[in-house]
Amino acid sequence: MTEAEADFRARATLVRKGNRYEDMTEGRVFEHHWGRTISAGDNAAFTTQTLSFCPLYFNEPYAKSLGHRQILVNPMLVFNTVFGLSVEDLSEGGGPFLGVDDCRFLESVYIGDTLTARSTVVGRRASKGQPGFGIVTWHTEGFNQNDDQVIDFHRTNLVRRREG
Amino acid sequence: MLTGSDNYFEDFQIGQVLKHARGKTMCEQDNVGITLQVLNTAEAHFNEDIMQKNAMGRPGWNSRLQFGGVTIAMVIGLTMQDTGENALRELALDKIRLKSPVFHGDTLYAYTEVLNKEDSDREDAGVVTFKHYGVNQKDEVVFEGERQVLVKRKSHFLQEIRSTR
Repeated sequence: MTEAEADFRARATLVRKGNRYEDMTEGRVFEHHWGRTISAGDNAAFTTQTLSFCPLYFNEPYAKSLGHRQILVNPMLVFNTVFGLSVEDLSEGGGPFLGVDDCRFLESVYIGDTLTARSTVVGRRASKGQPGFGIVTWHTEGFNQNDDQVIDFHRTNLVRRREG
Repeated sequence: MLTGSDNYFEDFQIGQVLKHARGKTMCEQDNVGITLQVLNTAEAHFNEDIMQKNAMGRPGWNSRLQFGGVTIAMVIGLTMQDTGENALRELALDKIRLKSPVFHGDTLYAYTEVLNKEDSDREDAGVVTFKHYGVNQKDEVVFEGERQVLVKRKSHFLQEIRSTR
C-alpha cells in the first residue's frame, strides 16, 4: 500500500446528505427525521433573542391569567423548528429559501411538547433565470406528541439540479 | 401594568404605518445558534469555509448566509412589542418573501402597515392583519410578509384590570 492510499482521506467515501430537484416528484411525501422536544430553555432563549416581547412566552402567571396551563411556546419557534426538521429532506441540497404562504398556527404548543414534521411536494418547475436550479413548493405539517396538527404552511425554495 | 396600553385592538387603524424603534445587528448567536437549535442542517448557515470557497455560486455570498427562518422571526420580533404584546394568539403568516440575503453583521430594522381589522369569534378580541417589512442597514428590503394576530380589546381587558384593582 502506498503512503497516499493509506491516508484516511484517500480511503474516505463522502456520506452524502440531502436531495436534489430530480427527487422532488409531485405528491412525494417525506416523513421527516428526529422530532424535537421543546424545553423551557429553548423557548426562553429564542423568544428573548428575537426580541419577541409578548409575556405569554416568558411570564407564567400572565400566561395562566389568559387561560393557559403554563408558558406558551413562541409560535415563531414552532415554525422554525418544524421548518428545521424538514431541511435535510427538502432543501439541504442547496438553493435559497424564497418564501412561505398560508402558514396557520392551529394549536397552542407548551413546554415539553414534542414536534414532528411531514412534507408533501405540491409543485415544481424549472427556474428561468437559474438553469442549475428548479423551484419547488412543499406543503409542510407539524404535529405534537398526540398527533394533533399544530402548524401548517407552504414553503418555496430554489433547489439544485443533480446536473446543475 | 405588565403590557402597554396603546397596542390593543382599538388602537390600530387601517392604513397606519409604524416604524419600530429598535434595530438588531445579526450575529453568530442569532444565525448559527437558532439554525442549529431548530436542527436545520443546511451548512450554508454555519460553515464559513465552504461559503468563502464557493459562495453557493452566487456573487458576494462569501460568508455564512442567515437562515431565512431567523430573519422572519427577528423582523417579527422587532415588531412584537408594538403589534403582539397584547396578543391572545398568533393566527397566521402569509405571502412571506425573502427578498435579499442577510449575513452576519447586517442590521435589521422593521416597519409595519396595518392592512385590516375585523371582529373575531370572541367578543374580547379582534383580528388584526399586518404587513411587515424588514430593512437592512443599506435600506434594502430583505423581508416582507403578512401576519394575522388575535389582539385583546381594550374595552374588555382594561376595564377588567380597573375593576380588579
